[in-house]
Amino acid sequence: MQKTGIGVWDPVEIPQKQCAAWRFPRRSIWVERIESEWHVLTMPERRKSADARSMFVRRNQKPESSEWKHYLQRESGGVQPSPVLPDRPMVIRPDRALTILPSQSTVFYLELPVWFRLSTMGARSARIFEEPLSTLTRTWFGDPVNGELCWGLATRLHHSIDSVEPSSWVAVCPILIENDSDTDLDFEKICVHVENLSIFRGPRRLWANSLNVIFRGPDQASQIEIVRQPPGLEEDLVLVSAAREPSAGWNIRKTFGMLKHFTDF
Amino acid sequence: MFFQQIVTWYHSLSPDVLTKAVRVAVTVVLGLFLVRVMAVVTQRYIMRRSTAQRQMVARKAISYAGFFLVLVATLGELGVKLTALLGAAGIVGIAVGFASQTSVSNIISGLFLISEKPFSVGDVIRIGTTTGIIQSIDLLSIKIRTFDNLFVRIPNEKILTSEVTNITRFPIRRIDIVFQVDYGQDLAKVRSVLAGVARENPWSLDEPEPIIMFNEFKESGIEMLLGLWFAKSDFTDLKNSIMQDIFSRFAREGIRFAHPNRLVTVVEGTDITS
Repeated sequence: MQKTGIGVWDPVEIPQKQCAAWRFPRRSIWVERIESEWHVLTMPERRKSADARSMFVRRNQKPESSEWKHYLQRESGGVQPSPVLPDRPMVIRPDRALTILPSQSTVFYLELPVWFRLSTMGARSARIFEEPLSTLTRTWFGDPVNGELCWGLATRLHHSIDSVEPSSWVAVCPILIENDSDTDLDFEKICVHVENLSIFRGPRRLWANSLNVIFRGPDQASQIEIVRQPPGLEEDLVLVSAAREPSAGWNIRKTFGMLKHFTDF
Repeated sequence: MFFQQIVTWYHSLSPDVLTKAVRVAVTVVLGLFLVRVMAVVTQRYIMRRSTAQRQMVARKAISYAGFFLVLVATLGELGVKLTALLGAAGIVGIAVGFASQTSVSNIISGLFLISEKPFSVGDVIRIGTTTGIIQSIDLLSIKIRTFDNLFVRIPNEKILTSEVTNITRFPIRRIDIVFQVDYGQDLAKVRSVLAGVARENPWSLDEPEPIIMFNEFKESGIEMLLGLWFAKSDFTDLKNSIMQDIFSRFAREGIRFAHPNRLVTVVEGTDITS
């Protein structure tokens, strides 16, 4: 097994007493199979290369660490690594403040870092473990009583898909934002409920469902539509991970964060 | 010998007495069984979606009311006249009432607490010097399990008249770490290092933003405050890690904490003995 790029998500057969490694720019994952146990180690990485690769490694080359976790899973056969979106909503803070004027709309491409899930491929597919592939910060969205705990991410807003580097550890989420109010939309951060989104695999990139967000005003919740079909920006997209919490049709949620709720000491 | 005495006593009983005894036994057993079933069904099924506290209150209300009805029914079967008994109970009640003012006060305080709901079962509260998890809220008292696994019973009356802090009421909290740095430090650098420590800590929330304040000029150094927001379940992880982070980063950056010191100046030519 020696895979690079999007190929790291291909299924793989790990023989007994064999060690496999998936190396991503910010995290590497080592998996060893011994009898019905899966030994897993995740380590932070600081690689300059943005590329990911997977390979078998000799057992004497596996990292020595006390952090190896042991998972018992009797299902035999191959394993399926899959990219999944984080388990909490994500608050995206764009690299620059942007104001969307009334009656204007725009499309962005958000880069959502994915987590690594390993599942068995036997008769009963079962999850072995999940690990984040990048370090996300914890953040709070909303007021201190009724808000929600989220993952935070500072990222660049892409207006064109061409400026998004193809990557195997980031899912691209096209998002259409429409300002349907009489006020300016000062776009400082947006809360994306990634647990409602699926991941599709294309020849070069991973994709999440497209989102259509209608902003009704600062005092009102936004209307959000999750587009069920895969984004049409790449061909041959295949569903690789279903949403953790599927959501039907339109949702109404507080989505944009503009007011500081915590200015009081 | 003893067995024979019992057999003789049994044969001496009239059929009426036997029938009555059986009816009383059936009333007690069936009544208690029904009360138990109603309490369990209410807690597990009817109030499945309610809070633990409401479930407990409902279970206790059903149990107490049920036990009272079983007692009344049993006394009725035994031929006790309830009107006379209730009259006597009224007189006894007045006497008992005078003797149990504290208990009555606790019961009334308990009713206030249940309606006001300053906390519920499972919350972490602080009353005076006691901090712990609420195990139950009863008519007379609340029961708390402290973090060193002690069982503490606090009368409701005391709770009603004391300041109670509900530590886990809201989903996020702030921890304030106060310390002093030496007067010789570059304060801009101290601020920047603290901001970095807060940013890199995995348990600290980046929104609401951490607070860094220069509190006061103290005798030995400048008092500073670092306030970090966190999810309420992460308190221990954050507190342990942030203290360690601050200490190691200050050591690495050469920032000194303030220690008590005195500067003594002796002016030459002064006779301090005079």
